[in-house]
Amino acid sequence: MMTRPQTDFTAAEAAMTEPAEPILDLRNLSKTFGEVQAIKGVDLKVQPGEFVTVVGPSGCGKSTLFNIVSGLEEPDSGSVLRFEGRSVMARDLLGNVSFMPQRDLLLAWRNVIDNAILPLEIEGANRAEARKEAERMLPEFGLAGFAKQYPHELSGGMRQRVALMRTFMFKRDLMLLDEPFGALDALTRTMMQRWLLDVWQKHRRTVLFITHDVDEAIFLGDRVLVMTARPGAIKLERKVDLPRPRNADLVTSPEFIALKRDLLDAIEEESMKTFGPSSH
Amino acid sequence: MTAIPASAGAFPAARRFGAVLPLLRGLLALAAVLVAVELIILAFGIRPYVLPRPSMVLEAILRTPAAYRDAILRTGTEVLLGFGAGALFGVWIGVAFSRLRFLRETVFPIFIVSQTIPVIAFGALVVMWFGNTILAKAVIVFYLTFFPVTVNTLLGMRTVDQKQVQLMQSFGASDAVIMRKLRFPTALPHIFVALRIASALGLSGAVVGEWFGDTTGLGVLLLQGMYAENMVAIWAAILCAAALGIAFFSAIGWAEKRIVFWGGETA
Repeated sequence: MMTRPQTDFTAAEAAMTEPAEPILDLRNLSKTFGEVQAIKGVDLKVQPGEFVTVVGPSGCGKSTLFNIVSGLEEPDSGSVLRFEGRSVMARDLLGNVSFMPQRDLLLAWRNVIDNAILPLEIEGANRAEARKEAERMLPEFGLAGFAKQYPHELSGGMRQRVALMRTFMFKRDLMLLDEPFGALDALTRTMMQRWLLDVWQKHRRTVLFITHDVDEAIFLGDRVLVMTARPGAIKLERKVDLPRPRNADLVTSPEFIALKRDLLDAIEEESMKTFGPSSH
Repeated sequence: MTAIPASAGAFPAARRFGAVLPLLRGLLALAAVLVAVELIILAFGIRPYVLPRPSMVLEAILRTPAAYRDAILRTGTEVLLGFGAGALFGVWIGVAFSRLRFLRETVFPIFIVSQTIPVIAFGALVVMWFGNTILAKAVIVFYLTFFPVTVNTLLGMRTVDQKQVQLMQSFGASDAVIMRKLRFPTALPHIFVALRIASALGLSGAVVGEWFGDTTGLGVLLLQGMYAENMVAIWAAILCAAALGIAFFSAIGWAEKRIVFWGGETA
């Protein structure tokens, strides 16, 4: 078993491991369900503290990729999965990666605070202390004064923030976010993106973020990966050399638009593989 | 199995009053129906040995309140004992079935077959085993209660969102933790549906159980009324049984409102 990852990466430690060893290293990762090959030969390295976004046409195996990295599914044999410098089985990652699925999946019978501390409770933490810690984090997540509300009393955006807070409270160096803002309206989504960047800059976790929204991928990421149509593989990788902190007007800058065009072309090409031949 | 964590405690007073309102409305409606029946009987001149006036029935109860109180207490205790044991056993065995596939495939069919045997057929047997005791009736109530609870516990466990299970697993939760923190609370609304059905079944079981021989209880009062061809006494016993049934039903409804306060389905 792995030891529990350290929360803080001190400068000294970072310097010692220079050039940084990737926190996550996937080589030739494949997964087949019966006849269907969901992903095929994914190679991906994620550096500590990096924000990597993944875009791709629907059904390209993004979620399968996440299910493997979160430990819920084993990849096909021949795949190499390395986490924090060690070769691991996917199931070793259960409890070691903080995973946020598409839907908020809040428990209806727990209020905001108790939903947020769920992972700490599962770890066996003291409930009273966990609650106190969560109370302190509420304002940062825009939930001040909502500690005692139940999920059915919250808006979609707030529920999503509770889910994010729960993910953050599960202090693991690698965070997997699977289209966390996919179900939100455009305005709320923009607000949430900016807010997520603020929180990320403060906590400096490594983030792997799935989305189907190219703007979102560029706006948030240090690096954007485009996946091919099924079987999914990494088609294109682009560094996002845009300054941080990023503001809303970034999306109209020429660099942003140029990058977006490249990425959209790549995605378009992949989408055509799925829908193309028969539609002409 | 632990109850739901500290969540049921914080209810605004307004909502608590709101829970009393339907009860008041129900009582009012009941009174209106009784008055209407009274008037109809008077208007059409229906004879008391066909259908006695509600006022006569109430008067009979008030004339010997102790007899009816004892009968209600006796039958109520029988139901409480059997129902409590049946509910606990039903939940417990339902959880066991949902965890252990082997048990589900071997024992569950036997349970289903057992429920096809009418309880009356068992009545004589139970009396032979347990005598004319309160325990004999409690066993009959238990027999009628546990099955719907088992089935609905099992059913409720199956409605759990697989994504939620996966999320808990990604937090490193064991099966036991997932059961306690996710599956069981998810099943609770279904369990309460079963409890409501079981409470009505249990009451009939207790009443019928008393017919096999006893000296107090609502079933006994019914039999006595029938032998004496005393229509008023029969209706008085029916009224008491109805009151007891309503009391059980509303107690469960009250508990349900407090425990399953989120309304069942994930909003």
